Amino acid sequence: MLLGIDVGGTFTDAVVVAAGKVIVQVKTPTTHGQLLAGILTALDKAMIGIDSGEIERVALSTTIVTNTLVEGKTDPVGLCLLPGPGMDLSGMIPAKSYRLAGSIDHRGREVVEPDRLAVHDACRDFTDCDVFAVSGKFSVRNPKQELQVARWIRETADPNYISLGSAVSGTLNFWRRTNSAYYNAAVWRQFGVFAADIETALAQRDVTAPVYVLKADGGTMPLAAAKEQPVEAIFTGPAASVLGIMAMHDNHLPAISLDIGGTTTDIALWQEGVPLFAARGANISGYPTAVRAFWLKSVGLGGDSFVRRENGKLKIGPMRRGPAMAMGGDQPTVSDAMIVAGKASFGDETRAYEAMTQVAASDQTPQETARMVMEAAAEIIWQSVEAMLDEQVAAPVYRVEDVVHSNRFLPRWVIGVGGAAGGLAPLVAKKYQVPCVVPEGAMVANAVGAAVARPTIDITLRADTAQGYFTIAELGLRQRLTKQHFGLADAGELASQYLSERAKQAAMSVSEVETLQAEEFNLVRGFSTAGKIITCRRQIKPGVLMNISGFSQKGAVL
Amino acid sequence: MSAKPLGLVFFPAFDWAISPSHPEREERLLYTRDQIVEEGLLDMPGIREYKPSMADYKDIERVHIGVPNLRSLITDAHLVSAGGAITAAESVIRGETARAFALVRPPGHHAMRVVHGTRGFCTVNMEAAMIEHLRQQYGIKKVAIVDTDVHHGDGSQDIFYNDPDTLFISFHQDGRTLYPGTGFTDELGTPNALCSTVNLPLPPGTGDEGLHYILDQLILPMLDDFKPELVINSAGQDNHYTDPLANMAITAQGYARLADKLKADIAVLEGGYSIEDALPYVNVGIILAMAGLDYSKVSEPDITRCPRQSVATTAYIKRLVQERQEMWRNREQLRRQAIARAGDFWQRKRGIYYDDSGISEQQLESVRICPHCHGYVTLATESGDYGINAKSAFAAIIPRNACSHCRQEARDRVLRAKKQGRFDYYFIQDKPADHLEEL
Repeated sequence: MLLGIDVGGTFTDAVVVAAGKVIVQVKTPTTHGQLLAGILTALDKAMIGIDSGEIERVALSTTIVTNTLVEGKTDPVGLCLLPGPGMDLSGMIPAKSYRLAGSIDHRGREVVEPDRLAVHDACRDFTDCDVFAVSGKFSVRNPKQELQVARWIRETADPNYISLGSAVSGTLNFWRRTNSAYYNAAVWRQFGVFAADIETALAQRDVTAPVYVLKADGGTMPLAAAKEQPVEAIFTGPAASVLGIMAMHDNHLPAISLDIGGTTTDIALWQEGVPLFAARGANISGYPTAVRAFWLKSVGLGGDSFVRRENGKLKIGPMRRGPAMAMGGDQPTVSDAMIVAGKASFGDETRAYEAMTQVAASDQTPQETARMVMEAAAEIIWQSVEAMLDEQVAAPVYRVEDVVHSNRFLPRWVIGVGGAAGGLAPLVAKKYQVPCVVPEGAMVANAVGAAVARPTIDITLRADTAQGYFTIAELGLRQRLTKQHFGLADAGELASQYLSERAKQAAMSVSEVETLQAEEFNLVRGFSTAGKIITCRRQIKPGVLMNISGFSQKGAVL
Repeated sequence: MSAKPLGLVFFPAFDWAISPSHPEREERLLYTRDQIVEEGLLDMPGIREYKPSMADYKDIERVHIGVPNLRSLITDAHLVSAGGAITAAESVIRGETARAFALVRPPGHHAMRVVHGTRGFCTVNMEAAMIEHLRQQYGIKKVAIVDTDVHHGDGSQDIFYNDPDTLFISFHQDGRTLYPGTGFTDELGTPNALCSTVNLPLPPGTGDEGLHYILDQLILPMLDDFKPELVINSAGQDNHYTDPLANMAITAQGYARLADKLKADIAVLEGGYSIEDALPYVNVGIILAMAGLDYSKVSEPDITRCPRQSVATTAYIKRLVQERQEMWRNREQLRRQAIARAGDFWQRKRGIYYDDSGISEQQLESVRICPHCHGYVTLATESGDYGINAKSAFAAIIPRNACSHCRQEARDRVLRAKKQGRFDYYFIQDKPADHLEEL
């Protein structure tokens, strides 16, 4: 049995999945300020009648990292940079930094050596810091200097944790890696406390199954790995829903998914059964980071969106003025329209009618009004989908072939999940003249996603055969190439090998491996080929451990 | 930082090369890509990246006359590169960006009006296609091109040689010591457009000091006088001290400060073949400078290798600037004199060599000196791969502001030539009608 818990803004959901069926689903209100208590309430409710020994895995999608940031509980970080020549990052990063000499060039060659005394000075500057972050330009091409500086910091200041830019991401982007490394260190302690609390609480309940934490890219990581890379556990809510969709609806045609909740709709585009990823990484508190995430667009429209007339014109959202009138609220909402239109059945129907009467034009029945409200709401979602498709076709590409053959994304399906999906997703699908699916159990897609999300991990191998080296930044590795005529195929094999090793170390099983990036350039010096520059990035594909084929209705909606 | 961002079209054409070991190969912008991405430049709020569009054949035909035709000479890569320049320019014209940089390949500034093949790595002139597109679509008239490539921009010079609305300024390593062997100070334009072509040949070893002296004393004041609606920078980067194809001594800081002072509306990448030691740093410098960001910390790892400019070079540059200042002051008088001397027609006969295609072209150009318009141009051209496969064409170019008389006469000349039948192909590039006609 797999246990999945998702902490959302409004509800904390828990599900137990066994043999492709959701056998328990629980919805409890999220307890703000007491994250752990809320999780344990959901857990205990889900566990009623279940033998703790039968739980094989616990997976959590939590807001702990977001909460730490929002509540200002981050720790001061001794942020040391090795920026080399180029753009000056000061003023563009979330905290004060110490600029160290030392630089690596684009081919991973050491140009200027770092200075031990300067590191001492930096440590003196950061005496109040218990966590450090070290980030160097082109450290992914050669992590040597970051590792060296970290050693010196350990000798001098002996902090509890040091986050390295090259360890948070193996891809180019010094700015993003620096921000990631900073946030990693800043939330490290709080995440550690949370992880320890969870472990204790589970032990008290005799749950001995391994605990996984969901990442923004829809994969999971073991709790132990998450403690070393806590920043990856940010923004997991939308990822959980997306994974839930994947589990509940196995279809490889291009699709649009709409997660229509209370106040917002999250839109994702799908190709070959997986959602598209954000091109570079997630933004945290306005700073770009290297945290991999699904490409989601959020629009301020959901079941609770406030419906009113302004100068005779029907207006919807983006604000929320409390729950639906049918649920005891005092302002009309989209949910009220859905109830009146017969697309939802909860709460007090007469109040929903009152809501529609309130916003009806003089010659309109409540039913006509309800249909109009839903059409208008679907229109708002559709416009955001269109904007996303525009953005997708305008995304820069770097090969002639890709410009010549660039086509607009053509959806063949619309998949809806979330409370208000049943009413609105079909209306959006109608605009594209494609079928719409609202899978059974769409209300707890997020928790289902957490329960069944596969562990993922990625690795970036870069080989420079002219220099005779290869680098795997995530492992802090730079080694001599031993094989003659090393090519892209060899790089792929080697990357897979290290990927398996890295997965094994983290106690993950390796399932489907996919290539994220494969590039091979001939290095020509003079008029002959001097070598090759090869980049091969592979990952364990995000996905689900099992498909969900049904729900057995045990559990409670509170 | 300006309120509006810098528009950036980055198109390294990772799947296009002239040949595997040619300087124009897939690898050329690889290290530049690495540096730009590593710096995080594409994430900067002050920089907005655009995907290049593909130019239409019409955009190319507005500028070039291909013999036997353009379709047999150019590839999709050329359409994307020209399209990239157009995308960049349109972001500025539409007011989405403050200025734009088309960091694209293949390059184009050696491509002339008539195209028989590829020369100096160029087949299609990106800047020219872009400028004529802007003129046609947005009614832009006066444009200045500042060509900062180490090689003389002979293609751009040729295309605008008879156009007084386009000020073409090129500084480059002296043609006696470098390809294409042109760009001397006496190449000033046809009498109709005299002094709207300005060449500044520089001795090998010219450094930042000399470059900025020329910029401050000559180029910027000329731009002030000319008052163009748009300033275009043909941003070649091979004046760099590490470039393997040339012998100058400009640094990344020198280029970045140039971009900062020039404040070009649109820059388009041209040459630059020190792909590892110069391009990553020069491009980051230019992008930061054009975006109004701090570029002071950009420098090459081996900057100490940069040679110093010699005293003799400094003295030469002072003389050159003085002489060109005087020419510029007297430009109107010089133009009147040239027109008077030329009579009804100005002619020149040239040999043009296509180094990449191994083709020699012989061209006879005739320009009508007309008091009412820019005057039409006729071109009689013949080429062959060392005399084999000879192809010939006769073409007339009708200028944007053609008077009815010039329009008719240009057409008559082509019709007459066709009747005589000495050429293989006959073309009329009718700019007012925005049409390239094959007769």
